[in-house]
Amino acid sequence: MNPGNYIFKVLMFIGTIFLFNTEIKAQATYDSLKVKLPKHYFKTVIVVDAYNKADQKLDTSDFLGKRLKTYGLKQFSLSFYTPLVSYTDVDTVKNITKNTHILLTGNYVRLRPVFDGIKQHNLVKMGFGLRFIFNSGKKGVWFVDTSPFITRDVTYVSKGYFRMASTIVYSHNVSERFNWRIGATKSFMWGNKNYWPFIGLRFGRLDKTHLSIQFPRSINLNVPVGPKLTMSFYTKPQGGMYNFSNHDSLYYLSNAATFNYTRYELNSGFRADVRASDKFNFYVAAGISSRNNITFYSEKANKAKPNLPYRTYFFTETLEPTIFVNLGLVFKFGKTRTFYKDRNMYDVMDLNNTMDVGDNGGSAGNPQIPITPKSKKEINLQSVQDLIDYNDF
Amino acid sequence: MKSLFKIIILCCLFLYSGYSIAQGDKDKVEAIRVSFISEQLKLTTNESEKFWPVYNEYNDKIKAVRKNLRQSFKKAPDELTDKDAEDLYQLDLKSKQAEAELYKQYREKIKAIIGARKTVKLRAAEEEFKRKVMDAIKDKND
Repeated sequence: MNPGNYIFKVLMFIGTIFLFNTEIKAQATYDSLKVKLPKHYFKTVIVVDAYNKADQKLDTSDFLGKRLKTYGLKQFSLSFYTPLVSYTDVDTVKNITKNTHILLTGNYVRLRPVFDGIKQHNLVKMGFGLRFIFNSGKKGVWFVDTSPFITRDVTYVSKGYFRMASTIVYSHNVSERFNWRIGATKSFMWGNKNYWPFIGLRFGRLDKTHLSIQFPRSINLNVPVGPKLTMSFYTKPQGGMYNFSNHDSLYYLSNAATFNYTRYELNSGFRADVRASDKFNFYVAAGISSRNNITFYSEKANKAKPNLPYRTYFFTETLEPTIFVNLGLVFKFGKTRTFYKDRNMYDVMDLNNTMDVGDNGGSAGNPQIPITPKSKKEINLQSVQDLIDYNDF
Repeated sequence: MKSLFKIIILCCLFLYSGYSIAQGDKDKVEAIRVSFISEQLKLTTNESEKFWPVYNEYNDKIKAVRKNLRQSFKKAPDELTDKDAEDLYQLDLKSKQAEAELYKQYREKIKAIIGARKTVKLRAAEEEFKRKVMDAIKDKND
């Protein structure tokens, strides 16, 4: 079976389980008093994302550029996270609520670099990871993520290549309006294997307008227009390192079966996140993609130094800025514990969102941080039945 | 076959999203309530950081008790067997008792964090919000 389809089915299976799980929990009973709280704070979230970039002509003065002719990009990704363990510990003496979360993550990316001069290649990246988040209940939150993945060119029979991205961050909430973060990340977003320090600053409350600078992940200005709509202006890198079949003999100096195709771009644009309901969001983003670089590295020539970024390449080109479009659907499943106005829990959610699943440079758009509505127009009896007792009427 | 599978799955997800939109946004009222209480209490940063996790937990528990009871009362009383009616009666009593115990337990915790004056203010804010909600519903129905 094609591994891509296999992963797709696994992800859908998980989603279906959670879909029905909510219904099973809602069955009525009247034989005993059950005060069963939801275990987790995180919902299971599935994100379907499509990213496209216009075709551009490559430099024909280069031998390979002449062969490849043009370069464009079509990317489809499916990712999810689901809570596995949530543990809450209340210190009754100091009145502090600490919690620990372990989440399972998974992602499947199908990347189609469009070169007019050769047959279409389909590159796949997929993997499952774990993330650990600890909320100290005071001012600090710890975040650790490991995202192992396999990349493979599924166009032809080729061997998969195992890699791992990881991140560790400490986040300090000085107040609701100011936060700093420090840590380290191993990422392929800049097109190569890179080890970066992680430095983050946030000005403004997460449920209000705020500026978030998270190096090397993103710079965002988020403006909630209402409870249903958040506008963002952002700059962030996007890229990756993929195995590319040498079936077209692009790597003419060797008879290697595969080589490494890397890409990165710096995307600047705006994004609209629409919270259609508690269970479904979608987003639309567009903007300019600049510093568009593609590079072909020889695996053999770079193998001698396994922990360093690749240095020896046989083709590289940085193209002119172009436009990109990004669309996404966010499905949220399951009942969770509430965390209104809980500054640290908002930060926990934001950390989980800032470090996208699978090191792809995406974002689910903070789907769980509540934005307070300004009007009471949509209040109905069904939505307040847990707040009001019959004696109140 | 593979395409058909993908289409079915995507249709299910879209139906799910459509269903969830039709269900409405229950969290919205909760968010308005929390915002209202927050405005009324005027907590310090230190109080806020300790108060909200405790208050959220209390609300989750109260909601769970009420939801359990409400779902149990879905069946028409005349359709219940004598045993079920007895069980339901006992459940009603237990639920009211559990609510009272939770109230006492959590108000003690809240008082330890924000003091007696603000705890009384909290009660007043909760009542005030209920009145506002009921007024809003009345206005909507008139």
